[in-house]
Amino acid sequence: MAYLNGKKEISGGRNLCLRNVLFSLIIIVFVSMLCLGNTVMAGDRLEGKDLYNKYCAPCHGEEGDGYGPLYGALYPKPRDFTKGQYKIRTNATGSLPTDADLIHVISVGIHGTSMMPWDILDKGQIASLLPVLKSFSEAWQFRKPEEAVVLGTELRATQKTIARGKELYQQKECFKCHGETGNGDGPSSYDLEDEWEIPILPYDFTRAGKFKGGATNKDIYMRFTTGMNGTPMPSFANELSDEDRWCMVHYVKSLGDKKSTTEHAE
Amino acid sequence: MNYAKKLMLFLTMALLVVAIQFSGSVRAHEEKAADKEPYVAKTMDIYEGFPDWYSPIFKDNVGLSEGAGLFKDYYKPLAMQMYMSPMRHYVPMDVLDHSLFIEKGRRDLCIRCHDGINTGAVDDWKGSAHFNPRKTDMIARKTKIIEESIGREIVNVDCFDCHADTVKNEIRMPNAEVCSECHERQVRQFNSEKDHGRPNHIQAMEANVLVPWYPEADRRGWLAGNGGCDMCHGISTKCDPCHTRHSFSAAEARQPKACMTCHMGPDHPDSESYGESKHGIILEMEGEEYNFDKPLAHVQVGDDYRTPTCQFCHMYQGGGRFTHNFVSKGIWRMGTVPPSNIEYKSSLKAYPYGINIIAPKIDVYSDENLDKRDKWIEVCSNCHSPRFATTWLEQLDDYMFQAFKITDDAQLIIDNLIADDILYPSVAERDIYPLGDKLAELLPASLVGDGVYNAFKTLGGKVPVVGPILGVYAMFYQGENNPSLIETEYAKMWFWYKLQGYKGYAHAQQDVMWWWGQAPMLMQLGKVQSENMRLRREHALEQGSGGATPVSHSSGGSSSSHKSTTKIPEGNVWEVKDLDY
Repeated sequence: MAYLNGKKEISGGRNLCLRNVLFSLIIIVFVSMLCLGNTVMAGDRLEGKDLYNKYCAPCHGEEGDGYGPLYGALYPKPRDFTKGQYKIRTNATGSLPTDADLIHVISVGIHGTSMMPWDILDKGQIASLLPVLKSFSEAWQFRKPEEAVVLGTELRATQKTIARGKELYQQKECFKCHGETGNGDGPSSYDLEDEWEIPILPYDFTRAGKFKGGATNKDIYMRFTTGMNGTPMPSFANELSDEDRWCMVHYVKSLGDKKSTTEHAE
Repeated sequence: MNYAKKLMLFLTMALLVVAIQFSGSVRAHEEKAADKEPYVAKTMDIYEGFPDWYSPIFKDNVGLSEGAGLFKDYYKPLAMQMYMSPMRHYVPMDVLDHSLFIEKGRRDLCIRCHDGINTGAVDDWKGSAHFNPRKTDMIARKTKIIEESIGREIVNVDCFDCHADTVKNEIRMPNAEVCSECHERQVRQFNSEKDHGRPNHIQAMEANVLVPWYPEADRRGWLAGNGGCDMCHGISTKCDPCHTRHSFSAAEARQPKACMTCHMGPDHPDSESYGESKHGIILEMEGEEYNFDKPLAHVQVGDDYRTPTCQFCHMYQGGGRFTHNFVSKGIWRMGTVPPSNIEYKSSLKAYPYGINIIAPKIDVYSDENLDKRDKWIEVCSNCHSPRFATTWLEQLDDYMFQAFKITDDAQLIIDNLIADDILYPSVAERDIYPLGDKLAELLPASLVGDGVYNAFKTLGGKVPVVGPILGVYAMFYQGENNPSLIETEYAKMWFWYKLQGYKGYAHAQQDVMWWWGQAPMLMQLGKVQSENMRLRREHALEQGSGGATPVSHSSGGSSSSHKSTTKIPEGNVWEVKDLDY
């Protein structure tokens, strides 16, 4: 305190004050370097296109067409961004994804694929990728992403809701692709293709927890509601009521065998 | 006054800095107290105990920029060498820089991406003891021993532990040194093979790239064909040829099939001979009753194995001990080295011609070899009577002695052709010995002996070389007119059929012993003899003005009946003075 008072006293000398400020600054920088020395990471912090080229282009390609050098090694294939078709969204079927959707997928990855969670990048870096992704498709110039759908109240999983889900599973002919038992081996399952004419397999519900868009009830509800653009998986937003979609969620979750559920839990 | 204030300011700041540093050190100290010493991985030097020049040319990573061994600058390694001999040649991928993941220690991310690429590898790992080091009671006990030896608890061993080079911040391809962090004992045993000389696993790379035909193949644009060589010989610095990726199972490596991808084929039909022997056939029929989960030292013969496996015999060290040294009981080695116990008529007398980098003749009855023999009998006696085993092994020796005598006969024929300057095409008309023009500058006289050194130096590589072991080039290399037919036929005789008979004997497979062994060996002798007759007859026709017939067609083909115009070289074909070119 005495020192602070003293400082006030000498603040009359302008020159000296500046020198003091400089002096303190040097010490502050020195001290911060001491403290931060261990946490500062080597290497440049990349953003935008540079970041994309370094970490995304190996799979998705520099042109964003999904034909990166690692394309051949991967199945499911890396997303082609040039059509503006995104599977994992929270808005109406056919829409472009919201920014939050893109950030979410980049941050948590897509299970069952080589798209790992890129939470290794900081928030600013992830956000800087969005304009790059959008630059690959003209769709972003002509259309705007629709608003995210509002989640209704979740129905609890009960024998009743599961039974209703099962009924709907038959009624909506989910079994044609996903199979009677949910093993992904229905009669149509062998001939499915996505919009890029790449063979695609319906989800095997017994591989519990590997849902592409996430395994929480909310995630699965979203897939029923929004569909998966570019794939044969339609939206049921118009066909099924909110409650029915929750029932479907509980039914398909009940198809996951216990073993793989626990396996994934680790 | 101002200075006083400034001094005060400085002192306060200095105090602050000291305080921060002190608090930091206290924190570090607390961490230390909680975590003990920070873990530092210790690995062994795979070439421990080797000469100083060895590691820089066989081990130090150079990517694909140069080769390995003394001829490293004379060939460009095949690209797949980065996987076959990763310690020397691995190059991290350049498509996706992995340093970020390593830097941040994100071991959780490996699986998230690679599960979608290398599902097989990930699945193998999930079934392995690396994924679950307490998978069985026995594995848990082993893990505990490892934990105590390295001073660290092992939750599991994942991608990051083996593939992340945290010093260079790049992906590495694991090699035996990486494995030695936890499995030092096994790697040390593997290293001990060097004490018994080649052929062995630890020096297998020498036989691949330290042979002149390897760089010569590259010079002629044929190296891609040597990809098969690289696949086996890379074992010198790797564990996964036997403990396959990514299961790394000991139980798997205890099965004969683990050896068979390399130990098969015309030069060492181990797979064929063992596989079709009663030992192998019973394993084939009753394999389900064999218990491969047990470490070899605990195998109850009869209970766990009805017949022996490759591993049971070859890893046995005597006294009930088994180690990762496969060659400590090897007497005949691979059957290529002539024994000192028989008399030779040909230049084989002088084998190995002063060359220091190939094995000298074998004294089958040396104290050391008799000691090895006792250990073999110890193994066989698990089921057979010692007399049965002794008699069998002595009969094997007899086969080898006679096989080398037959080799000697053939070698003498060719020695004489060279001495008489009848070998056709002649040395003047033929291409050099592989890399023959460079050998004198690459291999010092101290390594190859004065005779060989001078021969290559003065003749620029136009040297006829036949027989064990450098004459094996006849099977790998074809220059212009070099080697000629008779040399190739001879090479097949001693390098294929003699060895096939040997393996047939050693692994008790009767048909391999005879029909792949002695029978074709004698056929080859016949070919060498008749080729000799032809060459001599043509030579006589060329020379003879009055239809002279220096070769008697009724002489029975025995080379000893010919009258040589020149003296048979005493001992050493390598010595230039004896070779009247």
